Formats: sequence, structure tokens, C-alpha cells
Amino acid sequence: MTTTMYADEVAPCPPRAGTLYDVLELILDRGMVIDVFVRVSLVGIEILKIDARIVVASVDTYLRFAEACNRLDLERDSGSTTIPELLGGRAAKSIGKRKVRKAAESVGDSVRKAVGGGEDDEDEQEERPKKRRAPARDGSNRRRRVEA
Amino acid sequence: MTGSGVYVYAIVPAVAELPPNTAGVGSPPAALRPVREGKLTAVVSDAPEQLRARRRDLLAHQDILLRLSDDGPVLPMRFGAVAPDEESVRAQLAGSQTEHLATLRHLDGAVEINLKAFPAQDSLASVVAEEKNVRRLREAVRRRPDYEANVRLGEAVATALARRAGEAGKKLLHRLTPMARAVATGPEVHGCALNVSFLVDRRESDAFRTTARTFADAHREHVELRVAGPLPCYSFVPSHGRRASVAGV
Repeated sequence: MTTTMYADEVAPCPPRAGTLYDVLELILDRGMVIDVFVRVSLVGIEILKIDARIVVASVDTYLRFAEACNRLDLERDSGSTTIPELLGGRAAKSIGKRKVRKAAESVGDSVRKAVGGGEDDEDEQEERPKKRRAPARDGSNRRRRVEA
Repeated sequence: MTGSGVYVYAIVPAVAELPPNTAGVGSPPAALRPVREGKLTAVVSDAPEQLRARRRDLLAHQDILLRLSDDGPVLPMRFGAVAPDEESVRAQLAGSQTEHLATLRHLDGAVEINLKAFPAQDSLASVVAEEKNVRRLREAVRRRPDYEANVRLGEAVATALARRAGEAGKKLLHRLTPMARAVATGPEVHGCALNVSFLVDRRESDAFRTTARTFADAHREHVELRVAGPLPCYSFVPSHGRRASVAGV
């Protein structure tokens, strides 16, 4: 949803962690290869390719999506929604979203462990991509319904 | 010199200067030095005893390449390239000088911009609104909520998200390709609907990113775009050597 730009990181200051996060697979899988130069064994290189916030095709993820979807139902379709229900639905929905996100983030955690796992990773939090905000549309819909 | 070899970061034209105060891989960071041969320079340092894909070392590698790129064309090495000694680096430079110089000319004044299209996971509402199949399965779950129905619904949502991202990504690819000197498909990234790198004139890179951003804003319910760059031209150098040859350290 957001477009992430790193224009300011070219120079002269060292690039932020976000840059690294987004181009890991290029650093590890692209770039020039010369036969006579050995490529050292890189432990965990396969895991590194996994990106965090990704739709993992698993039953677990499906169920989270379904749950989030059903929460949407509560908000959008019930004709006689009362305000408390509305608020409850809202809370439930955001929980659902958080769950989806959490599943994705736990994948990111394992990536970070694989990348660093070390003493020099004190600033690794920055590696996590920025959180996205929920669409503004949600708010305006709700307002309309309450007024009606 | 240590016994563990020479870590090679990049190959640049002989006239290029090494960026000052730049730390190499390893802890403590190894000092950079040039290995010159003919019209080429290899940027190297001592290789650390136990090189891993550590965050610190990946950043050092990337940072050096970015700094070198500021001054002129660069052939970026893939992370982890280690030559046995400086002599073998010189021999390589001498043996492939023509090829390397041609690639350097090709990359002169250009940068790489990488674009990844991910499913727009926050757009469930628009998926429900626009995807018939999802809507039908959602109704089924509401009538008869059970495990199977929920799995089918969730799978349909995941599939729809991925398809929408892929379609939007292809549209953007069509839009951006004429603005690039070359296009290269990136390595597969799990869950990423499209991973493409563009070789773009450095002067054009702002306009390129603006175009991508405008597209992203207009299609936010279909795709989440991540644009990284300008980058060293990782995806536009020869990589036909032994693929990911692995040697024990």
C-alpha cells in the first residue's frame, strides 16, 4: 500500500537498515560471479530469502484471513447495528488485522535471527518495514452509518 | 594479509578512487585496498576468518558499492566472493579486461531501481467488494460457519490478493519499461507477486520513482509496492559463473 523510497540513502551517510531489508536477495543472489573466486558458505542463506509481511499460503493464514473477512461482515452488512455493537465490531476487526500482521511478522523475526543472530544487531528493529495504516475509508463508512 | 583470502567487493575503472573512511566486512572492519591491473581496479580487503551473511557485513558490502557508484560505473560482486590471493585477482582482471570494460561502459551513468509488488493485505474490504468468488464464499460461511468453509474463504482471499497484486505489478511493468535502459527479473521472493529491477539513467531516477509512486497511490487497493533505489547495478552484471558455488570456510 505504501511506496517505500530510499532516495536520501544513496550518500553520503550509510544506508538505513530498510534498504538492506528490501534488497537482501539482490545482494545475495545477484551481482557479479567470477569462477575463480570462491563464494564462502553462507549459513542460513535460504531463510534469508523469506520476506516478512507476506501472505504465507497455509491453512493458518487462510483462517486468519477468513476471520478478518467475517469481521468485515459484522461491520458492513448488519442492518440494525447499534453503536455498542459497532464499537465492538471495530475492536474485533482490528484484533483480526493484528493477528494477520502478527503471523507475518513472526516470519520476519526468523529472518532477522538468520541475518544477524549476533552481538552487532542492536538496531535491528529498524529493519522491520513501516506499519501501514488502515484505510481511511473505514472511518468514513462508520460515521455514515451511525448518522443514518 | 591473513591466510583466509581476499574479499572482493567490486571492480571499477582504474581511474576510480576508493571512498575514504569506508569500513569493509568483518569485525573489526577490514581496511579497503585497491588491486590494480591494466585499466581496472578491484576493491578488496582481507577476508574475515568466518564470513557469514551477517547484517553488519551485508551493510558494509552494500555501503561500499553505493559509495563507489557515486563516483562512476561499478561492477558489484555478489556478497561473499573471496579470492585466494591478490595474484589471482590480478590474473582475473587481466584475463577479462575487455569484457569488464564493456560492462562498465554499459552501466556508466546508470543505477538500478528495484520494485517489488506485494499483496495489499490491508485491502480486505475492497477484495470482498470486488471479488465475486470471495463474496460467495463469505456468504456461505455466514450461512454455515464451519472450518472447511473458512479455509476456503481464506484461501480465496489469499489467491485474490496475490492475483490483484500480480496484475497491478504487470501493468506497472508495462508503464515503466520504456523509461528504463534494461529490465531484469529479480530472484523469487516468497509472497512477492513481482520482483523486477530496472536499469535507469541516474538523471532519470527521480522521475522513474515518481512514476512508480503515482501508480502505487492510484492502485493501493490492489498492490503494495516497495521501491528501492538507486542501487548498485546488481542485476545487470554477468552472473554466469558457477552458481552459488559453496566452499566450506
